[in-house]
Amino acid sequence: MSEWAIISQLTINSILFGSMYGIAAIGLSLIFGTMRIIFLAQGTVIIFFAYICYWLLTLLGIDPYLSILLVVPLAAAIGVGFYYGIFKEAAVLEDRNISLLIAVGLMYLMENLMMVVWKPDPRAVVTAYTSWVFRPFGTTIQFTRLMALVLAIAAAIVVFIFLKRTLMGTAVRAATEDPVSTKLMGINPNLVNAIAFAIGVGLAGTAGVGVATVYSFDPVFGFMFTLKALISLALGGIGNVWGALMGGIVLGFIESFSSYYIGGGWVDAISFGIFLLVISFMPQGLFGARGSMKKHKVKR
Amino acid sequence: MKNNGVSEQPDVKNPPISFLKPLSRIGITSRRSLIYFGIGAIVLILFATVPFYLDVDNNYLGYYLFIVFDYIIIAQGWNLIAGYAGQISMGGNAFFGLGAYTTGIIWLRNITHTGYYFDPLVMLLSGVLPIVLAIIIGIPLLSRLRGDYFAFGTLGAGQILTVFAIKFRHITGGADGLHLPASVYTSMEPYYWVSLLMATFATAFVYFIMRSRLGLALKAIREDETSAASHGVHVLRYKIIAFAGSAFLAGLAGNLFAYYLFLVNPAAEMNLNWIIYPILMVVLGGTGTIFGPVLGAFFVGALFAYGSIYLKSTHPILTGALIILVMKFMPGGLMGLKDQIFARRKQT
Repeated sequence: MSEWAIISQLTINSILFGSMYGIAAIGLSLIFGTMRIIFLAQGTVIIFFAYICYWLLTLLGIDPYLSILLVVPLAAAIGVGFYYGIFKEAAVLEDRNISLLIAVGLMYLMENLMMVVWKPDPRAVVTAYTSWVFRPFGTTIQFTRLMALVLAIAAAIVVFIFLKRTLMGTAVRAATEDPVSTKLMGINPNLVNAIAFAIGVGLAGTAGVGVATVYSFDPVFGFMFTLKALISLALGGIGNVWGALMGGIVLGFIESFSSYYIGGGWVDAISFGIFLLVISFMPQGLFGARGSMKKHKVKR
Repeated sequence: MKNNGVSEQPDVKNPPISFLKPLSRIGITSRRSLIYFGIGAIVLILFATVPFYLDVDNNYLGYYLFIVFDYIIIAQGWNLIAGYAGQISMGGNAFFGLGAYTTGIIWLRNITHTGYYFDPLVMLLSGVLPIVLAIIIGIPLLSRLRGDYFAFGTLGAGQILTVFAIKFRHITGGADGLHLPASVYTSMEPYYWVSLLMATFATAFVYFIMRSRLGLALKAIREDETSAASHGVHVLRYKIIAFAGSAFLAGLAGNLFAYYLFLVNPAAEMNLNWIIYPILMVVLGGTGTIFGPVLGAFFVGALFAYGSIYLKSTHPILTGALIILVMKFMPGGLMGLKDQIFARRKQT
C-alpha cells in the first residue's frame, strides 16, 4: 500500500471508530449538563445493551438493526428508572460526589451482574452482513462499521432536533445553562434530570447496538468505553452535541494514527496525555465556544 | 509536638478537666474526647495482643485483619486529600502501584543492600517515591484543574502510569510483572504486627495533620477555595502537600501488599479496584472524619471476606448495590449515622 492509501484508510477507520465514542460522549454530556456529574456507568450500560442486542439475536432471532426499535425505548425507560430509583435523592444535595459515587456503584453492580449472567468471555454478534465489505478507492470499509457511523449521526441529529425544537428539550438546555433560574421559572428539576437520563441511556442503547455489531465485547470493556467517552467529551467541549460527536472522531484519529505510527500499547497513554493537555489548557474543548459555561453565567 | 498556634475553642457543653491540660495538645480537651481516646487505646491494645491468643497463621481472621489494616492505610490517604482537603483524587492506583513497584525493583535489583523483607528503608522508600510522583504530577494538575476535572486528571495520570508499567518491560517486567522471592515467608505474624503499626501510624498521621495549621488550611480550602486564598492560604502549596501525604500512605499500603502477594504487576496492584476500594471505605465510614475510614475498612473488609466465602463470584454485585444504597439513604456514612442518632437524642 502506498503512503496515501494508508493515510486514507486510517482516516476512514478513525471516523468509523470515533463515531461510537462520540455517541457515548453525547450521553455523558447531556447528563453532565443537568446533573453536573460524569455518569461513569455509561460505558457499562452500553455493554449491557450490547448483550441485550446479542440476546435478542440469539434467543429471539431479531436482527440487530431492527432491534434498535426495541432497545432504544427500553433503554430510555431504564434511564428514567435509574434517575427516579437511585439518583433522585442525591441530585438535590450540594455534594456532587454522592451522585458520582452512586454512578460508580451502578457501574460496579452492572459489570458484575453481566459477569454472572453472561460470563466474562468475549461475545460477538455475527450475522450475514458482518463480513460485507466495501472497497472504494483501494480502501476497505466494513458494512457494520459504516452502519455504526450512520447510527451515530442519526442519533445525534435526533437529539439535536429534540433539544432545539421541543419544549422539553428547551427545558434541558435551560437547566444546562443555569439550573437555579430554571427552577425559578417553574421547571421541575427532577423531570429535566429524568429526561437527560432517558436520552443519555437511550443513546447508550443505540451505541450498544453499534458496539455489538462491530466489536467483540465483554463486561469489563465498559469502563474503558466510559474513559474514551470522557476523553471525547473533554476534547469536544462539554454541553455541545456536535462537539461531543466531533470529540469522539478526533479521539478516533488519535487512536488509529498513534497505534499505526507509534505502536498499539501506547495508544492509551497518548490519548490520556492529550486529554490531560486539553483539560489543563483548553477546558472549553477543541470545538466549544471560548470561555463557555462560566463566563456565560457572569454575563447574564 | 510543638504548639502550632491554633487556639482551641473552649467546648461549652464539655468543660475541660484541669488535670488534662498537658493532654490537650494532642486533642484531648473534654470528657467526651477523653472517652473516645480511651476506647481507641483499648481497641488498639486488644488488636495488638491478638497474636498472643489467636494463631494468625492458621486462622482466616489473621488474614482478614492484615488486609483490613492495609485498607485502612490507603483509605486514610484518600481521606486526607478528598475528605479533608476536598480534592477528589482518582489516581490512587498509581501511587499504590508505585509503592509496590518500588519495593519489587529495589528487592530484585539489590539496590539498597539491606534486608528487603520488612526492611524499614525499603518501606520508607516505597512511601517516598510516590511523594515525588505526587509532586511531579500534582503541580500541573492542581494548579490548573479543580473539582471534577482534577478527578479526571488524576484518573488519566493513573492510566498513563499503568501503560508505562506495562511498556517499560526491562524495568517493570511488563504485564507479567516482578516475582519476589516467596521463600522468605515464615509466618503471618510480622504481617500482622507491621500492618497494625502502619494503620495506627496512618491514622495518627492524618489526625495530627488535621490538628495542625496545615489541617486548618486544608479545611479552609475544602470549604471555600477563593475565601481561603484571600485569607492568605497558599492554596496550591497546601493542596500539593495533602496530595503528597495521600500518595505517601498509598505507597506504604502498596509496599505491604507487595510483601503479602510476592508479586508486583499491573493487574494486581494498578487495578481500578485500588481507586474504588478506598473511596468506598471512606464514604461508607464517613468522609472527612478520622475514624470513618477505620470503620469503613472493617466493614468493607468483612463484606468482601464473607461475600467471597458465601456468595462466591456474585459478591461484587452486593458491593455495588451497597454503595448505591448507602449513598442513597445515608450520604454521611456510618459516622454521619452516629451524628444523626445523637442529634435526635438531643431533640427529644
